[in-house]
Amino acid sequence: MALAEAGLQADVLVAAAPRKRSRTRRWAFLGVLPFFAYISIFLLIPTGELIVGAFRTANGAFTLSNVKDIFHAPYPAAFEFSLELSALSAFIGGLLGFLVANAILHHGVPRWIRPMYLSFSGMAANFAGVPLAFAYGATLGSLGVVTTLLGHLGLHIYPSFSLQGLFGAALVYAYFQFPLMILLMIPVIEGLRQEWREAASNLGAGSFGFWRHIGLPVVTPSLLGLTVLLFGNAFSAYATAYALGVSNLVTIDIAQLVDGNMTLNPQDAYALAFGMIVIIVITIAIYSFLQRRTSRWLR
Amino acid sequence: MAQVTVAASRPKPHRFRRARSRVPIWHVAWLALAALVFLVPVYSVVQFSLSGIVPGQNPFHWYLTVFDDSGFKSAFWLSVQISLETVAASLILMVPTVFWVHLRLPGLRPVMDLISVLPFVIPPIVLIVGLAPFLKTFSSWLFVRPEVLSLIYVVFALPFMYRALDAGLRAIDLRTLVEAAESLGASLPRTLMRVILPNLRAAIIGGSLLTVAIAMGEFTIASIMGFTTFSVYTYNIGTSTAYEGVALTFISLLLVWGAMLGLYLLGRGGRSAAGVAITN
Amino acid sequence: MATVQLRGLRRTFGNVVALDHLDLDVHSGEFVSLLGPSGCGKTTALRIIAGFEWPDSGEVLVNGEDVLGEPANKRNMGMVFQAYSLFPNMTAQQNVEFGLRVRKQSREQRAKRARELLELVGLASAMSRYPRQLSGGQQQRVALARSLAIEPSVLLLDEPLSALDAKVRVQLREEVRRIQLELGITTLYVTHDQEEALSISDRVAVMSEGRVEQLGTPAQIYSGPRTAFVANFVGTMNKLEATVISREDRTVRCGPVTLSVPDPTFSHAPGETVELFIRPEDVRLELLSNGGSPPAGLFEGRVTSLTFLGPVTRVGLTTDLGPLLADVSSAVALGLAADTVVAIGLDSSSLRSIAL
Repeated sequence: MALAEAGLQADVLVAAAPRKRSRTRRWAFLGVLPFFAYISIFLLIPTGELIVGAFRTANGAFTLSNVKDIFHAPYPAAFEFSLELSALSAFIGGLLGFLVANAILHHGVPRWIRPMYLSFSGMAANFAGVPLAFAYGATLGSLGVVTTLLGHLGLHIYPSFSLQGLFGAALVYAYFQFPLMILLMIPVIEGLRQEWREAASNLGAGSFGFWRHIGLPVVTPSLLGLTVLLFGNAFSAYATAYALGVSNLVTIDIAQLVDGNMTLNPQDAYALAFGMIVIIVITIAIYSFLQRRTSRWLR
Repeated sequence: MAQVTVAASRPKPHRFRRARSRVPIWHVAWLALAALVFLVPVYSVVQFSLSGIVPGQNPFHWYLTVFDDSGFKSAFWLSVQISLETVAASLILMVPTVFWVHLRLPGLRPVMDLISVLPFVIPPIVLIVGLAPFLKTFSSWLFVRPEVLSLIYVVFALPFMYRALDAGLRAIDLRTLVEAAESLGASLPRTLMRVILPNLRAAIIGGSLLTVAIAMGEFTIASIMGFTTFSVYTYNIGTSTAYEGVALTFISLLLVWGAMLGLYLLGRGGRSAAGVAITN
Repeated sequence: MATVQLRGLRRTFGNVVALDHLDLDVHSGEFVSLLGPSGCGKTTALRIIAGFEWPDSGEVLVNGEDVLGEPANKRNMGMVFQAYSLFPNMTAQQNVEFGLRVRKQSREQRAKRARELLELVGLASAMSRYPRQLSGGQQQRVALARSLAIEPSVLLLDEPLSALDAKVRVQLREEVRRIQLELGITTLYVTHDQEEALSISDRVAVMSEGRVEQLGTPAQIYSGPRTAFVANFVGTMNKLEATVISREDRTVRCGPVTLSVPDPTFSHAPGETVELFIRPEDVRLELLSNGGSPPAGLFEGRVTSLTFLGPVTRVGLTTDLGPLLADVSSAVALGLAADTVVAIGLDSSSLRSIAL
């Protein structure tokens, strides 16, 4: 009798527990419903729409012609220029950012350097867009302060130089690329333990030896990964390029096809946007792979 | 033979300690170059905005012109409004959500982390392509109101707001605080309001500052949808009157600088990697 | 092998005096531990010798020559850090070979030497593993092998075992000593663990607040502490206050009892107040029959606490001389309980007196 009672009790307990847990779980998901609803409306569904739209004709039939259109003029040139500009600004920003981050973290550097440079980096990284373009106009534009100064020194950069050209635009992009690199690179360099530097020194290596054998090997995947991230960052840029007057860029082309209320050529816009997403996804995948390689060692 | 004992040599003055702390020349060079790159455009902006003046006029002529312009006032005010709405919408949406995920649905963390990275994969120019037609059919009324900008900006503020709140919640022992409050009889919403929020103040303010920086500086969506926000106004003016455009640029600079200063004072320069908003 | 001499090292960090005119002489082939609590300056001293820090004044002489003018990477000293010092992107073998690579030795030479050393530390099988695949103890062995590969004149170890589990620590410290004896290398070992220092060193320098309080063999440090700090820091010590009766007879009065302190260094004046130190293991206990008085030479005391420590039990006692701790074998302690009255004897040859 007691055994049966005990069995009944056990049953009741078992029945009560899991049901309660799953009921709590289901209700719990309600709590994040507003967020996911919002994300769906303002991010996921529109993205889905445009990915699907890239493969649909104006009537809704499935087609690859939109995507094929990307390979017809003027788009390949725009992609080429976008990729070149992104690569160049990422390279300049990445290299300079790494060197400056390293300099900031040098032990002999005065204490106030770090907060000063970090806050300037934060500011510069956020300054992108229309104001940045105008700032560079004031600096290196045809009537810019630096242009005039160089002119006085006999160096006439115009007309071979142009803020809309590859080099000029890359210089402008560098203004927000390299501070971003500084901010992202600092934790990576800090991850190089002091013990490694001291051990290397103790075993006879100088600063160069340390970097060659330990520092760079450990940091390079991250360095490359972040540079790739910068690439993606530049590739997505629109406002700065638009305000500079750059013309043959993928983002600018897309904007010209989607003008306010009038969507002039939605199919091409979808296809171009889809192309951009593909490229960005690839860059993020490469970035995350490389970042994981470095964190393996910096644990 | 007398033993000559050499007196112990006087300890050498330790010049090498200072030598050891001396910074190699190339580090100084890079720091100088960085300083140059940061400051030359700023200097040029200031210089430029104070030039082009007819002799006899106020050196701040362009700034005065800008401030007098009613277009400036309405554009600036519109941007401020939108920024505040974005912050409000962002906080209302994100604070309870992140709180809830930390408390009850920790398994969703990876999903949230992934979602918080999505706005980087879908930049503004791409998003507007999919969003505009969808939004028009979804609500053509909402489509023409500036409030729609706030709702869209929440998406771009998402990574930064999420990261700030996530870090803030991770720094406090959420579960223990909530359980303590519950054992004292407080309901969950009350716990959130009275116990958790005060502890998240720094994270909330930090996230909000970044959101304001993003919203004030956003150009892509605003221009394509035809709203005259501060940066659209700056562009319009700048392409017709360069001097006024540069004056407006300096004002933008002050705004961003102010936001960053606020962030810095909050966080003392530690985790500033989180403080980067992409408004390009 | 090299001799190391520290002369008058002084180093301050702002208002904090890390080293206060530190003097030390390390003979060739000797194993000297720097023992002391955190902040006593032992690590600072070691890092100055290695070249990672510089003193404000003073000299560091290796084989009679001042090395302070040389940068760290030219001093040819081996250093083992507390943790995390293995290069993460290299295997154990590559780590050990690193110093040799810097010295431009050929690949065969390096490999041969790396194998030798890894065998010496018992890790030849782990040659191609990366640091993250090794346990803490294994990592430190590799670190040791690496530091020895360059055939340094001096070996420096900065709390190398502090980050390891207790059992691994005991095992590894024996190995470090064994290797050091085999190679005959002059060694400086920093630790805050007195058991470690006492068990493996030739001599121990007990440090406090930037100075060497006492330098001596482990036995000297343990049984013959010369300052109150050393007495208190090393092992457990009983402390009793006493007044000096006679300098020639070396007697003192402690409570109602007269004790003789046959310490040859006894040099206090009559009437002076001194502190008497004696180790718990030198305090003898005898059970008293009910109501009996203690035999000659012993005095009475009552048990206040019994703490089981494994092989011995620490008995807390209250007496007319003051509170005392006595270590008795746990078997004997079974006959004791709180409030038991016992007869206590102090082994006078172990008594030390230090002026207050």
